[in-house]
Amino acid sequence: MWAALRSRLLQPSPPSLLNQQWKLGFAGLGRCLSTSGAESVGDRGLLDLQEVEKVLSDVKADDVRVIPAGKHFDWADYMVVATGRSTWHVKNIAQALIYKAKQKQKGARHIILPSVEGQDSGKWIVVDSGKVIVHALDEKARAYYDLENLWTAEPPQKESKQDLDKAFVKIRPKNNSKKPAKIST
Amino acid sequence: MCIQALKGKKGARLGETIVVSVKEALPNGKAKKGNVYRAVVVRAAMQRGRCDGSEVKFDDNACVLVDKQGQPIGTRVFGPVPHELRKKNHVKILTLAQHIA
Repeated sequence: MWAALRSRLLQPSPPSLLNQQWKLGFAGLGRCLSTSGAESVGDRGLLDLQEVEKVLSDVKADDVRVIPAGKHFDWADYMVVATGRSTWHVKNIAQALIYKAKQKQKGARHIILPSVEGQDSGKWIVVDSGKVIVHALDEKARAYYDLENLWTAEPPQKESKQDLDKAFVKIRPKNNSKKPAKIST
Repeated sequence: MCIQALKGKKGARLGETIVVSVKEALPNGKAKKGNVYRAVVVRAAMQRGRCDGSEVKFDDNACVLVDKQGQPIGTRVFGPVPHELRKKNHVKILTLAQHIA
């Protein structure tokens, strides 16, 4: 049964499986996820974009913005930025997302929770659920960190690649010595 | 300058938190000289093994100043940062970074 499940999951999308293996390592299963955990890699615990939007509208989060982050990140598809009115509201947003993820996986053998950062202070909480990363900030933090500007500007990586191509061109050294150049066979 | 690693006697590696004191500061920066903060190591010259057997190492040692709750003090992070920060729950630093190695 294990082998059948493993083969079924490994066939469709190998790259995304690697990404999910990276992600699920946080659950304390160790750095490299063994293939026996491949059964739980399926998208049950990880939230989709529609579900995240629904939860955020239920909790009445202000100013929800979705930024497709495929260009910047390989491992995430969407960044969602939401504002809370107070620290308690920000914590509530994070709790609601975790609750939704738990509900989605009711009755499963292993429950995979999305990892949460910044739970102690209510200023900036990040809920990382695989493809979708949700940032819950309060008003001041949003103005301070200014995440939308960071992500909507084009990443200027193309220029550095061209320089690298030029750098690897091989140049024949000039022979200024009085000895004749050795002819390599 | 690093004072000590937060967890463990043998020192901190990539992705771990350390206690630092500021030795040089820009006059209009948020960090003042002589203050003690926490920091997260983002680049280390020591190689770090990855899941798939490859190793990562950088040319310099660098860290990002962080407060006691784990919020980065600055607003942007320059230079490449490795993937390992995601597993150590430093997604905030990853989102502020310009380039992810």
